Amino acid sequence: MKRINFSFLTFSIFLFSIATISSWAFFFFSLEQNRGFSIGPGLEFITKLVGIELGKESAFLSTASWAKSLRLGFTTLTMSILAIGFAAIFSFLTFPFAARTLAFSDRPVISNPFSTATFLFIKMTHTVTRSVPELVWAMLIVFVLHPSVIAGSMALAFHNYGVLGRLLAESVENMNQRPIKALRSSGANSIQILFYCVMPEIFPKFLTYLLYRWEVVIRTTVVVGFLAAGGLGRELKLSMSWFHYDEVGVLLVTYVILVFLVDGISVFLRKYVS
Amino acid sequence: MISRKSISLGSRTITSLILCATFVFSLAFVDWSDLTPHGGGATMLEVMLREIISLELSSEFIKVSLRASFITLSYALCSISLAIIFGLIGGILASGGLFSGFLAKVLGISLFRALLAILRSIHELIWAWLIAVSLGFSPISGVIALAIPYGAILARVYADFLNDVPQAPLSALRSSGASSFQTMLYGRLPQAAREMFSYGFYRFECCVRSASVLSFIGLQGLGYQIGVSLDDLKFGEVWTLLAFLIGLIVLIDYWGSLLRRSLS
Repeated sequence: MKRINFSFLTFSIFLFSIATISSWAFFFFSLEQNRGFSIGPGLEFITKLVGIELGKESAFLSTASWAKSLRLGFTTLTMSILAIGFAAIFSFLTFPFAARTLAFSDRPVISNPFSTATFLFIKMTHTVTRSVPELVWAMLIVFVLHPSVIAGSMALAFHNYGVLGRLLAESVENMNQRPIKALRSSGANSIQILFYCVMPEIFPKFLTYLLYRWEVVIRTTVVVGFLAAGGLGRELKLSMSWFHYDEVGVLLVTYVILVFLVDGISVFLRKYVS
Repeated sequence: MISRKSISLGSRTITSLILCATFVFSLAFVDWSDLTPHGGGATMLEVMLREIISLELSSEFIKVSLRASFITLSYALCSISLAIIFGLIGGILASGGLFSGFLAKVLGISLFRALLAILRSIHELIWAWLIAVSLGFSPISGVIALAIPYGAILARVYADFLNDVPQAPLSALRSSGASSFQTMLYGRLPQAAREMFSYGFYRFECCVRSASVLSFIGLQGLGYQIGVSLDDLKFGEVWTLLAFLIGLIVLIDYWGSLLRRSLS
């Protein structure tokens, strides 16, 4: 058994290395797109980004552009909260159905005649939504809805629903099974097992995962905003296409401040919960 | 005592209440009229959903999808290999294992941690976009862009792994005269290697997903093909490409879980 495991690891490392080397070779030799690579415009871009541009008042010095940037930052924050909120609600409602140990024990906790069907269906929704990145969801959603704050948060919510759902289902599968058995043998029904045994252990984890995903979502909200037209992302795109690089600089600083703010809140609340 | 306990709320309840209140509060800031489909949006949704059953499975299109998956995978492999190199260097520096003396240690750790936090705070596609504007819209820009935040995340986690190793072998090394560099190389790194490898592979899975949307700066791959098919309103092709993307992620995810099982 041990020898097989060892050789699987060796095989994986070998395969990974071969694939990596051939990928690098692929980009250097076969895909001839590196013509565009040059250092020249970079320096000019960076000097303009930090607000040094002759004959122009820097956006870093104007209160109007900071005020606008902060307002947009607030929209981005709202968008991220909506996204993680919807993702949390739906993943919290579905995770018990996607946990193997609850759906497929000798007497399933989620006992209904469609137990296997719901398990497979919910598991599939988790896998599909998780595998497709937020940006692709945004690309699909703007085909149906107006580009807006709500469209952007829906794209983010789809992906994070899958991520949270899977994390929760896996924590249920990895939790100690003995309390469940003890409760069942003393005659508890499914609902009681769910609320008195699974939830107390999973709920703190749920809060931790939720806050951790919020940190990821706030970073991605800006990118989704490019496509779904909301908050900082949209304005970044516009400033960039007008070559107002100093405004891009202001927006980026706001973005980093926002990310640090959310990280700070999240770390504080996670410490407070545990 | 009992009466006081009954009114004081647990930290979890308070946190949940705060989170719920924040969520409800932000619901008020949304223009809900945006949720109604725009002109033709409803029919578009109907067509999109109807096309799920008519996947584009001609051999030419399968070739296109395979090529796109292959390119996405290549971007991910290049980026993660670069990110692991960044992560190893950054992790060793940020763990403080190489600095001697209290002041140097505190200064070094906080300096490198702050630097990593800033690199990490910007999303990989924003990096991609900044780098593409300065260095040109080439594949190398995409690879560098993914490697920066992934490298910074790996570095932070690696630094924690390197700090959390059992201390006894380290003091044995030190007492036999090993320098801090030798302690790092022969004491900390070998002990943390498993966890570092496992986490690196987990990040590779995320990297494949990120690489698929490098179409953000016009680079090839699955996201690029999805965009092309969407512009042509060929939803059958879109679903095929999505199936390839999901298949790729699930496959790597499965490989990763096998690997983690064999490592633990």
